Amino acid sequence: MSHLPPQGASPAQPEPAEVESGEVESVDAPPADLVWRRLHPVTPLVRGWAVIAVLLVIFGRQSIENGPENGIPVDGSNWWIFASGFVVVALIGGVYSWLSWRVTRYAYDADAVYVHSGILFRQQRKVRLDRLQAIDIVKPLLARFFGLAELKLSVAGGGDSGARLGFLRDADANQLRNLLLARAAGLEETAEGEVIPEAPESPVLQVPPGRLIVSLLLSGATIALFLIIAGSIGAVIAARSAGPLATILPALIGVGAYVASRFTSEFNFTGAISPDGIRLRHGLLETRSQTIPPGRVQAIRLSQGLLWRKADWWRVEVNVAGYADASDGNASGTVLLPVGSRDEALSALWLVLPDLGVADPRAVLETALSGSGRDGGFITSPRSAVWVDPLAWRRNGYRVTDRGLLIRRGRLTRRLEVVPHERTQSLGLAQGPLQRRLGLTSFVLHSTPGPVSPMVPHLADADAADLLRTQASRARAARTLAGPERWMQATGQHPSPELSSPPPPPLPPKDLS
Amino acid sequence: MTDESASDLHVPVSAPAAGPFDPEGIVWQRVSPRLVTARLIMLAVFLGIPLLALVVLAIALPGAGPWLWISAAVVAVLVAWSAIVISRQVRAIGFAERDEDLLIRKGVMFRSLVVVPYGRMQFVDVSAGPLARKLGISSLQLHTASPGTDATIDGLVPSEAARLRDRLASRGEARLAGL
Repeated sequence: MSHLPPQGASPAQPEPAEVESGEVESVDAPPADLVWRRLHPVTPLVRGWAVIAVLLVIFGRQSIENGPENGIPVDGSNWWIFASGFVVVALIGGVYSWLSWRVTRYAYDADAVYVHSGILFRQQRKVRLDRLQAIDIVKPLLARFFGLAELKLSVAGGGDSGARLGFLRDADANQLRNLLLARAAGLEETAEGEVIPEAPESPVLQVPPGRLIVSLLLSGATIALFLIIAGSIGAVIAARSAGPLATILPALIGVGAYVASRFTSEFNFTGAISPDGIRLRHGLLETRSQTIPPGRVQAIRLSQGLLWRKADWWRVEVNVAGYADASDGNASGTVLLPVGSRDEALSALWLVLPDLGVADPRAVLETALSGSGRDGGFITSPRSAVWVDPLAWRRNGYRVTDRGLLIRRGRLTRRLEVVPHERTQSLGLAQGPLQRRLGLTSFVLHSTPGPVSPMVPHLADADAADLLRTQASRARAARTLAGPERWMQATGQHPSPELSSPPPPPLPPKDLS
Repeated sequence: MTDESASDLHVPVSAPAAGPFDPEGIVWQRVSPRLVTARLIMLAVFLGIPLLALVVLAIALPGAGPWLWISAAVVAVLVAWSAIVISRQVRAIGFAERDEDLLIRKGVMFRSLVVVPYGRMQFVDVSAGPLARKLGISSLQLHTASPGTDATIDGLVPSEAARLRDRLASRGEARLAGL
């Protein structure tokens, strides 16, 4: 409570009191000539509805999980208690949202976005544009009815870093995103009030709804669902009562919710490349269009579950520093391709790493995806690893190219992890007592938080030591050559994807535009 | 660049004979042996006191059967084992400052080695609890943008920790890169 100024002090010295109550760095005070803007006036309504929706979901889940015997039943005698409770909560939520809208203001200049917010605990936040990791435009269902959108700026702070500007009119949000991207890129000719055209893009990836549904049916969640149903039927038959059905209901709801959320968030997925970076659009009810500028992807993983092997489908996920642990719990920001053919998955990899740094990238990647053993320059576990990983020891391995480290893993679930050399954070080796007896060492590459955690398990001692030593110097050399944070200020050596040059892996034949 | 590639040439291509956790040409700096004392005191608090309580109970309740003595013996073996391992563990901790990165190794049974480039450092923590302050040691932790980087050096003499912190910070600033 030390944030709150004492009551008596505020009239005497209002200015310091306000400063005390927020997170303000006096050295970093925003410039005086900023134009402060408010969010769209409908914002409190959309936000307030979200509060009620959350309440309804919690209440619904509680009453289902507790079952009719434990929960408080809603019937004719007490329905008005619940109704008035909802009204009171809605009123409080509405008033709070309105107040919060009143005090929220934002502004931007050539270097940063400033957001002032908070009713009791004031917060003044400055987001530096050269530290921008990604910009998303999120449109929840209700906001779409009003033609509103939320702009999310992600920076690499973890937790609740970055800024959310919501809600703005669709056109304003698009305009602001283009402006911020242009400024973040270091383009100079962006005067105030000028309409910034959206950077041109060429579509690369598209996921038809039918394939998404089939891929979800063939995913691990469905197997879990089947096991749960089969188990419960067995239990019902064995116990000769419907009792076990109630206990599996929460599990069913959990699996169902997971599949449903994957379906709605990955519905109508398209991926495109533009000078601003990778553009992703997806979502059924809540649509999201993401822009990941060049050089912001820290690591990438192509994976294929056992049931996807027949169709040769792959899922592509990335580590982006800003998406680490998004406060809304939606991890879909890290999906680069929910499901796609081998060609499409390789195109997604090309979006991130246009130049793999090998003479014949296609052949190397084929080996990396489905090969095994030491073909194609891969260094795999030695024979002794059969004792610790009998299934995958022939496949686990790595290959170094001029631009990145390729890590191949897994026999049942196939994985390929690629880390560009300049994105290496730190490196490590680890060895347990059993591994030491077998002469094995695991190599770990530390990346920013995300779905991809690259490591090569059970290498021969000499190979692991060699990889650690050479990878440290390769990462160092690559860092000195890496492009600038403001990606358009680059000179010749910048790894910006050239729109004119065709991707090494062939694009799907059908016309996507 | 030319300097780097030249120095790389001097490193033999084959792995050093000492194993992957002892790269060739690295002189490990050791931590203070007072860390052994600190860890032994922690061991005494968390295992020694329960052991004492068990022994007292076993003497006070002779009719309780052999189970109290057996569990006391188990705890005693655990204490003895930990006491032996602790001094070996502390002796296994080592760090080395290279031109471009910091190496930290630790562990006897489960060994690990971490290489943290100075340019990847986001911030450095130096911390010391009440016991560590009494014994005159502190621990230093390097943070990168990755939560997986486990780069902690326990048992540094405070002056050494402060010196290392300042040097790491200045080296990190000189080599700072984006994410």
